[in-house]
Amino acid sequence: MSDSSSDHHAAAAHGPVTSPGASPEDVGHGPDDHHGDGGHGGLWQYLAVFVALCFLTTMSFLTYSPYWPWRDEPQVGWAFMMAVSCTKALLVVLFFMHVLWEANWKYVLTIPAAMMAIFLAIMLIPDVGFRNRMVSQERALHMARGSDLKLLEQAAAGEADHDGHHDAGHVERHDN
Amino acid sequence: MNASAASIGHDDHGHHGPVLQYQPGLPLSRGKLIMWLFLSTEIMFFAALLGSYVVLRFGAAVWPKPHHVHLSEPIGALNTFVLICSSVTVVLALEAARANKRSLAKLWMLATLLLGSLFLGIKGYEYSAKFSHGIYPAAPRGMIYERPDLYYGSAVRARLGEPVIIERMKELFTAPEDALRPEEVAGRRSLKQVRDMLQSPDQQAFDLAVVADQIMPLPGDSAEGHSHGGGLNDTFPWLQLPMVIPGGNMWASTYFLLTGFHAIHVIVGLIVFAVLLLYELGPKRAGMIENAGLYWHFVDLVWIFLFPLLYLF
Repeated sequence: MSDSSSDHHAAAAHGPVTSPGASPEDVGHGPDDHHGDGGHGGLWQYLAVFVALCFLTTMSFLTYSPYWPWRDEPQVGWAFMMAVSCTKALLVVLFFMHVLWEANWKYVLTIPAAMMAIFLAIMLIPDVGFRNRMVSQERALHMARGSDLKLLEQAAAGEADHDGHHDAGHVERHDN
Repeated sequence: MNASAASIGHDDHGHHGPVLQYQPGLPLSRGKLIMWLFLSTEIMFFAALLGSYVVLRFGAAVWPKPHHVHLSEPIGALNTFVLICSSVTVVLALEAARANKRSLAKLWMLATLLLGSLFLGIKGYEYSAKFSHGIYPAAPRGMIYERPDLYYGSAVRARLGEPVIIERMKELFTAPEDALRPEEVAGRRSLKQVRDMLQSPDQQAFDLAVVADQIMPLPGDSAEGHSHGGGLNDTFPWLQLPMVIPGGNMWASTYFLLTGFHAIHVIVGLIVFAVLLLYELGPKRAGMIENAGLYWHFVDLVWIFLFPLLYLF
């Protein structure tokens, strides 16, 4: 920046360097002086954002509480937590990263990034959906299945019932 | 852009040749522009990592519950809180530097450094808890089996057949009962049982599930309540028997990769803050603090998504 400011007087001799459309405060200022008006930031605003972020973090735990009505459908909880996360991310980007108060260049970065994120998510859908349709024989042999988890849970339940006595009874249960 | 072209045109008929006027295409400093460009590459990097996690996680037939892999949600939430606090302190450091309150800026910067270190410390504690339970991302140390099948049974049998283990077991089995803690007495009984089950010729999948449950029980949905002694691996740490966590290997790979890359970013941020602390943090350095802060907020942002995805889903 220093070389540009030292050239200012030379530029002034040759006429205006800014195009008529650009407002003077948009161009050529250092990183620190276009924030000087106190139009943003301030301790209280940051503290309010901080409190909101903490509140939202505890909101994520709402899905674990007995008051959460959709305990049988974890997808609802996941969607809720992602919504909470997006809100938190938005607060951080807008206030802490000062994007709220930046000039229009912010759209040059945010719009392509947002589009890329959306396309990435859309393109992953078939990968998630079809992932277990085709697996190699070796993988099918070694990968965990839901039935294995059931087996382990049964074993754990048997353990709790009999307090350490595993014998013929368990084998019978497996056979059915 | 128009303006710079115009200024070159003006200078062409001047006396001392063309004077090139630096005119930024975007109204922000070069450092900030580069930082934002870097951050957009970082967004792509973490979007790819998180995207592949989502594919692996939601495409998997079975995925371990947080309690199965000794994940503690409160600790994760505490880390979230620590990182949010550090985001606030770095913003306050920037504001103080702009207002030319140098010592205050330094104080906030120091607080950021400490909070970042606290985050890393908690993360290290979590890692060590995983390691102590035999959860590692890869094979030589990792002892996670996906299902209680014959491969698992033979791995446990192989471990129990190692001379060191045979020696320790002999000691344990001949020890008088009053020399042992109560859970060791119970553990000794179930260890004998496990050994006998593995040697029996008509072994079945359910027997191996029982073996797996004796070695490392998977806590049920009702969380911490279900704890019958913690399993043989906990009672006798020297045993280090293979254990069954359905989906556990893929979980370990993604968990350590995602949190590891995030931790590397945290370390880089801490180095930057440590370097910044060497300077006078006045208005002249505000640009530097702002760029470091942008990076730090991004690290915070990644954690905001990592925390629910890894700990709460």
